[in-house]
Amino acid sequence: MGNLSRMPEPLREAVGNLLLAMADEEVLIGHRDSEWVGHAPILEADIAIASIAQDEIGHAILWYSLLQELGWPDPDRMAYFRDPPEFRNATLVELPRGDWAFTVVRQFLFDFAEKVRLEALMGSAWTPLAEAAAKVRREETYHLMHSRAWIARLGDATEESHQRMQAALDLAWPHALGLFEPAPGEALRVAEGIQPPEAELRARWEAEVRPILEAASLVIPQAEPIYGGRAGRHTEHLASLLADFQLVARSGLGETW
Amino acid sequence: MGDTQWPVYEVFLQEKRGEPHVHVGAVHAPDPEMAFILAKEQFVRRGRCVSLWVVPAEAIYASRADEAEELFASVLEKEYREPRGFRVTERVRRWMERHGESLPDA
Amino acid sequence: MLTYRIHGQMVPVPEQAPPPQEGPEYEARLAEFEARIARGEKIEPTDWMPEEYRRQLIRMISQHAHSEVVGMLPEGRWIPHAPTLRRKLILIAKVQDEGGHGQLLYRAAETLGVTREEMIEALLAGKAKYSVVFNYPTPTWADVAAIGLLIDGAAVVNQLMLAQGSYGPYARAMKRICYEESFHIKQGYDAFVALATGTPAQRQMIQEAVNRWWYPALMLFGPSDRDSVHTPTLLRWRIKTKTNDELRQEFVDQYAPMVLRLGLTLPDPNLRYDPETGHWRFSEPDWEEFWQVIKGNGPCNAERMAARRRAHEEGRWVREALAAKAARQANGGGDGRYAMASL
Repeated sequence: MGNLSRMPEPLREAVGNLLLAMADEEVLIGHRDSEWVGHAPILEADIAIASIAQDEIGHAILWYSLLQELGWPDPDRMAYFRDPPEFRNATLVELPRGDWAFTVVRQFLFDFAEKVRLEALMGSAWTPLAEAAAKVRREETYHLMHSRAWIARLGDATEESHQRMQAALDLAWPHALGLFEPAPGEALRVAEGIQPPEAELRARWEAEVRPILEAASLVIPQAEPIYGGRAGRHTEHLASLLADFQLVARSGLGETW
Repeated sequence: MGDTQWPVYEVFLQEKRGEPHVHVGAVHAPDPEMAFILAKEQFVRRGRCVSLWVVPAEAIYASRADEAEELFASVLEKEYREPRGFRVTERVRRWMERHGESLPDA
Repeated sequence: MLTYRIHGQMVPVPEQAPPPQEGPEYEARLAEFEARIARGEKIEPTDWMPEEYRRQLIRMISQHAHSEVVGMLPEGRWIPHAPTLRRKLILIAKVQDEGGHGQLLYRAAETLGVTREEMIEALLAGKAKYSVVFNYPTPTWADVAAIGLLIDGAAVVNQLMLAQGSYGPYARAMKRICYEESFHIKQGYDAFVALATGTPAQRQMIQEAVNRWWYPALMLFGPSDRDSVHTPTLLRWRIKTKTNDELRQEFVDQYAPMVLRLGLTLPDPNLRYDPETGHWRFSEPDWEEFWQVIKGNGPCNAERMAARRRAHEEGRWVREALAAKAARQANGGGDGRYAMASL
């Protein structure tokens, strides 16, 4: 299945909902990572997180561009001219930057979620999605190496680092489960072979992240997922994030920048 | 504990298969794996790379400037170990002339 | 106080020029050193060098490194507000490069025996200088564009000269930095032109930013040759190959027309092209203000230092944790990656 213009309506909408969630998550986590540029714990780490921020925003552009082909507005319109309730990201990515521990934990949970999702989508029945997923998956290799290395070190390096990492995990985990909140139209997407069920992705993800976290002496909290992002229900942090993000674009001073 | 910027690892990069690894700089890192991860974005965020090495700077045993000039000087004639130090074609030519040998026209 | 290692011993970096070393042996070594520079050869870290050469290089390279790192702040503040996804990516990449340049430069300074810990400590203690231009504010998005064109433009003029310098590690770092800076000017010019050719409001933004950044750009080259105490020594040893005023003139000749041809103005009533010399005439910056900003009384000195100190303090636990972990696992790490590197 590759012809965009001929995708029947209920499916077009359903595929759009998936892409929207993916694109919004990438652009917001990229924004949060970029808040470290110039402020990271050591120069070399500053440089690495800046690359990761760029990669994530690059992925967002890719997903927004696919959406555009399905009839949605262009990527900048999507990122800069929607309000919080129109965003479909899991709440994990909108939480404030926090300390380096929270950044590392959030990025780790997100990177592995992205990995299992991309690997599943590489087999998607919709060819443009399968091809894009394969491309993005290659860039994730570095992210996975980077996040895993930080988790392995900070989890049990010192008393302070352990405490900070555990607190970060306690905060992030239920929001991270929200990455697997099914976007509307899941049944149709699964039936058409666009994606496997979110529950299946979550199981694969847990199988990957749990052993790494446990090996770093971190305890995975017992917590219910925080859902709502896929329906446009967000924490108050998204509004302030978007106020920053959209400040100049919405200033009315110009059309092109 | 005093502040630390971590130890130094020297970074070597191979741009293309078949070419040597070339020293491109150094990173501060706590251990080899982290040095590798951090070097990747400091030295390969643009440009080509097919292989990357990191080496603890303290593992490098180097020449000293005050001895280098004498150490690496080639004072006496050592042409015998260079390809240009041989006159063999000349001897073949002379032998051929003396014995009236000639090659078929090329 | 900065110290450096020489033959395994910690030696303080003198705050004043060292007393002239004397004696026939010193004279011979100095003659050899200067002859090497005159032949256009580079000086490498393990070579003999006059202490004043070492001191000047440590001073210059560490100031340069600090400038890159502090210079991430005025533009970095606009990363969250970049008006398009493309501009956001470009700006992150650009500010990232500045961090990367700082990293390369700290390393070049380290080859002279000073450690990065010591240099950063000196900066955070307010004992080290960095370029005055980064103590000016960036109140609008247009400041990012003006910095990208004018400040990066000035930096490149300066750095192309430094890339010809006599100290090998500094010149090598400069070569790579200049390559990346050409991207910075391109992106700056692109953002600049987007505003200059945009709506009246955008044109006004960029004009105001130009008015703010023109004189700081001229200041980037340092004090007038009349007042530059270091210049003669730096020229003699080819640490620099042109004077501050020569570089300033080069910059004005190159960049003034780029601004003017977009119908914008520069805040200098004396600016005009002199067909006789082929150069632009211009007013010097307000040197009184320059010295005030150097002394720490610029509009953003306190803010910049506070931001650097906060990042440093908030990152301390991370640096310590990884050092502690590495110390515990000094003999671990057999993940099979070592094999081929032993060839």
